[in-house]
Amino acid sequence: MRLQLAGRSLRRNVSRTLLATLGVAVSAAMLLDMVMLATGMRESFASLLGRNGFTIRVSPRGTLPFDSEATIGQGADAAAAIAGVPGVTAVAPVLGATIHVLGSGPAVTAFALGIDPAVQGDYELLDGAEPTAPDAVVASDAFLRATNAHIGDTIDVAVGFDPQLRTYQGRRRLVVSGRAHFVYLSADDRAAALQLGTVQAMAGRERADRVSLFMVRTAPNVDPEVARAAIERALPRVTALSTAAAIAEAERRLSYFRQLAFILGAVSLIVGFLLVSTIITVSVNERVGEIAVMRAIGVSRWHIVQQITIEGVALSLTGAVAGLLLGIVTARYLNSILRGFPGLPDAIDFFLFQPSAAFRALGLLVASGIIAGIYPSWRAASLPISGTLREEAVG
Amino acid sequence: MSIVSRVIALCSLALATAHAQRIDSIPAAAKAERTIAIDERLASDAGIRVGDRVVLAPEPGSASGDTARVSAIVRRRADPSEVARSEYRVRLHLDHLQRLIDYGDRVDRFAVLTAGGTAADSVLRRINAAAFGFRAYPSREIAVETSKTFLVVSRFHRAIGVITIVASATFLLCIMLLKVDERRRDVAAMRLMGISRSTVVRSVMLESSFIALLGSVFGVVLGLIVSAFVNAHYQSVYRTPLRFAIITPSTVAYSVALSLVLGVGAGALAARRLARTPPLTLFGR
Repeated sequence: MRLQLAGRSLRRNVSRTLLATLGVAVSAAMLLDMVMLATGMRESFASLLGRNGFTIRVSPRGTLPFDSEATIGQGADAAAAIAGVPGVTAVAPVLGATIHVLGSGPAVTAFALGIDPAVQGDYELLDGAEPTAPDAVVASDAFLRATNAHIGDTIDVAVGFDPQLRTYQGRRRLVVSGRAHFVYLSADDRAAALQLGTVQAMAGRERADRVSLFMVRTAPNVDPEVARAAIERALPRVTALSTAAAIAEAERRLSYFRQLAFILGAVSLIVGFLLVSTIITVSVNERVGEIAVMRAIGVSRWHIVQQITIEGVALSLTGAVAGLLLGIVTARYLNSILRGFPGLPDAIDFFLFQPSAAFRALGLLVASGIIAGIYPSWRAASLPISGTLREEAVG
Repeated sequence: MSIVSRVIALCSLALATAHAQRIDSIPAAAKAERTIAIDERLASDAGIRVGDRVVLAPEPGSASGDTARVSAIVRRRADPSEVARSEYRVRLHLDHLQRLIDYGDRVDRFAVLTAGGTAADSVLRRINAAAFGFRAYPSREIAVETSKTFLVVSRFHRAIGVITIVASATFLLCIMLLKVDERRRDVAAMRLMGISRSTVVRSVMLESSFIALLGSVFGVVLGLIVSAFVNAHYQSVYRTPLRFAIITPSTVAYSVALSLVLGVGAGALAARRLARTPPLTLFGR
């Protein structure tokens, strides 16, 4: 009965109801997008850093991994010192360098990672074999496309040029042993991974026994923060960063997006609330005579409140469902825009649909719809019956 | 010590920085020893002042450190590409940094000033023709490359802006329709008094235009306050003079025009509907 009456009331003014539903749907979509934006970056960044079980990153003191060209000297000793820290189960050294692939045309410049193939977390092998030989290299698709190389091909690589002597420095012939997906790089990045010793030898004296970064794996029962502090104590010239701290730093740098999400999400919620409350208030004001008649024939006050509240819930719920679909579509579009950031790793998504967070947000919108309906309905149900009827009859 | 080590780690970046604004300095006569310029942030965080001596080293705890005197404190320019970077910066004389980090007679890049006009293209061609191991780029190409991030942010803002406009337009439309709908008794009375439909429509439209204009003025004032707050907040978070929100006359004109169009449109729509309804029906008879 109450549902029927609420439905008829909403159908009485179809254009108004549709417009209000559209308004709530757009607000719900915006709210959902902002919730996805606020949680998406954190979750996808955490998932990226948590791949392969590495829980700590060790970089030159005062820097973030690959944030500058600084390196850690005496890499072998540093690796041994880190491995000696209780709870550390694996240490993966990484040295970054720029390489130039020489051919008949202009040299192709790429980013090379010197790694230990037995313990590495920078790439996932898609095809071929790990670079277990000193002259072996695995490369990204973008690298292979740019150099027109295939697995099994030999490529001529140098790490630098001497403009005065017009010669190449650190020149080597390497064999492409595999094709890999580099998890921390974008699909467009030309990247290659080869043995750490090979990169150090190619780069010459200035990179001898130097490392850009260590990735550290800890035992499951060990608190990474404790291991992190122990590493910094053992090696004062490094900064050790746990995954949690790295996420916090990334969040600090991208705080703008989180705050934007919070502000626009709050505005969406307020707009949705105002819209439903305005519609219900006006609708109730138009029907005071009708409500007075219902009260006069014995319909209870509680019944009136329920009926009008149902109208608010129906508007919010319909709008929220439509907003859910609209929100997912717009989130995909917005995500595709932000994924255009140069150098953004493939695994990073700014908008991530998480059912619990999304339904909490939409639940909040529906709850605001209920609250928006309660006041006008209670006010209408509390009108003096005889006075209202006389006023409505006389006009 | 930690401050020094952070400075050390970033020495190599000093070669690649430019466009700082000098805000304080010491007389030239006092510059006999090697001098450096430091970032305003570093000066503030480490309590370093002009004239202080600091030790620079290529690595923390390195024995090959070098004492230098701070001759200037520089402020970063409002550069969006640096906004999220929080490291400190130190500027050294080129030969000083080359020696300090054992970099030899090498540089990361050259900035070349040309006579302008076609000279830039001709210089570019000649450098690239002679180049081995390096390449010259025109400044505009570098600007396009480095501004890609901001193009993405700009596209994102535009998309968010469109969604916000759709949401606010729907809201405005709803409110205006309801507002006019509330006037049904007044409209009925006017019609019964013999006032023509077109006069009724015009009066309702005038009223809705006034409401839309008033709302726009309120919105512009609110926008100015919010943008001032946004700028103050983010300038303090990122420690930059960069302005994050700017309200331009075209922004104001666009938002006022949009709200007027929506307001007048919604008013006209509702007024026409009311004017067509018989007055007694509007009275509920």
